[in-house]
Amino acid sequence: MRKSPFLFFFLFVSLQNGISQPNCLAFQYAGEETKYLSCLETEKCAGHYQFSREFQTHLDHAIALDSTWGYPYRAKSVAYLKSGEFIRWKQLVDKAVLYNPADNLGYRGWCRYQFFRDYTGAIADIEKLETIVNYDIGYSVNGDYHLKVAKALCYKALNQKEKAIEIIEAHFLSEEYFPGNYDYLHLGVLYLETGQSEKAQEAFLLQQERNPIAESHYYLAIDYFQQGTWENCIHELDLAAQLYSQNLKRFDTYTHPMDQIYWKDIEELRDKTTKAIKAQAKTSD
Amino acid sequence: MSRISLLKCIAVLGLLASCRSEKPATLEEYPRWVGDIGFDSNLDDPAFQLCKDDYRAKQYFNMNEGVQFEGEKPAIDTYFKNAYKKPENSNQSGLIRIRFMVNCKGETGRFRLISSNNEYQSMAFSEEISTQLLELTKGLEGWKPLKMNSLEVDYYQYLIFRIEKGEIIEILP
Repeated sequence: MRKSPFLFFFLFVSLQNGISQPNCLAFQYAGEETKYLSCLETEKCAGHYQFSREFQTHLDHAIALDSTWGYPYRAKSVAYLKSGEFIRWKQLVDKAVLYNPADNLGYRGWCRYQFFRDYTGAIADIEKLETIVNYDIGYSVNGDYHLKVAKALCYKALNQKEKAIEIIEAHFLSEEYFPGNYDYLHLGVLYLETGQSEKAQEAFLLQQERNPIAESHYYLAIDYFQQGTWENCIHELDLAAQLYSQNLKRFDTYTHPMDQIYWKDIEELRDKTTKAIKAQAKTSD
Repeated sequence: MSRISLLKCIAVLGLLASCRSEKPATLEEYPRWVGDIGFDSNLDDPAFQLCKDDYRAKQYFNMNEGVQFEGEKPAIDTYFKNAYKKPENSNQSGLIRIRFMVNCKGETGRFRLISSNNEYQSMAFSEEISTQLLELTKGLEGWKPLKMNSLEVDYYQYLIFRIEKGEIIEILP
């Protein structure tokens, strides 16, 4: 058990880097000598920061040894992705996709969504992946979403909300479904935005059961506001503010996730609700 | 251990250390870190000073706190929404990234701009868009000073503007 924090750390680092070091011996065993030598070169990246010249140079050497292997291109691309250098990133990740589409299409699609809000590009990549593999297409590189949910979020952003709901609902019914940390939040917001209040409330409550975050209370407060149940609205806003203050909210180190809320949102809805309560009291007088 | 043996050990260790520090020529083509922005007297305001050496500058996400701005992202969105003037009849669409440094006082400098079309191919936007966004980004105040292990740091930050027919439709990250 003492090792578990370290295991978690390495898993985290691996997820954040978006890629794990391949087993070079597997290439040797398969008789792929140039890939084996290239792989050994990539092993020299260990201990170097992915932005560093050492990291990048070892990968260049690996590419020089085998220019048809996707791994070093993708590993190189990460620093460009994280620094927002989309031109170089795309050139590199395209090579990774070219040489290994099954392993890299989902990754590129997710990054297009997460870092560049390239919704149509992300959908194209994920849907292409769905056509070329006959197994579960997997998760976003940060582990937050199944790629089907990520695809649904892209459709939502393109204002195809009914389609987004259909994708998520179908995914929930599939055998491969494993509840994601924020799935019910996003589904709830989609229901809310399409006027399905009852379903939205149900989804927000499920989100709170599984992973209580400020957002599920905030959006529930919006639903109560729309129905004119002010006390419930204020109660949910109090809970949202409490969780927000404890940093129990949507967060991503690199970007701002969809449906994330901010302190200003809570305050604005509280002001609006307070005004509505006062207006109602005046009318009653 | 005798004195001679000790000296031999030191000599061997010194030799090994010198071997390790030898750099292949190709190492020179990259800066310390991808995207490092060195001071350029033709572009940069000399009044902007980092608190520490260039080589110690971090990326904004290294502190694992996300983007740190007074008033959070809505404040950034509101600033550009109010200040940016969409050029008339612009058909230009794509991405503009403006990357810069924030020092330990929250001051900004060393701004650099890249841009592409929606297919991530390099493309220059009109001055009305690119220069305007660059100047607005230079004028944006509210970046929070960050610390790592209780020590103040200088860091790299960027903003990406997704542009559709001259209009800002998203601001990232």
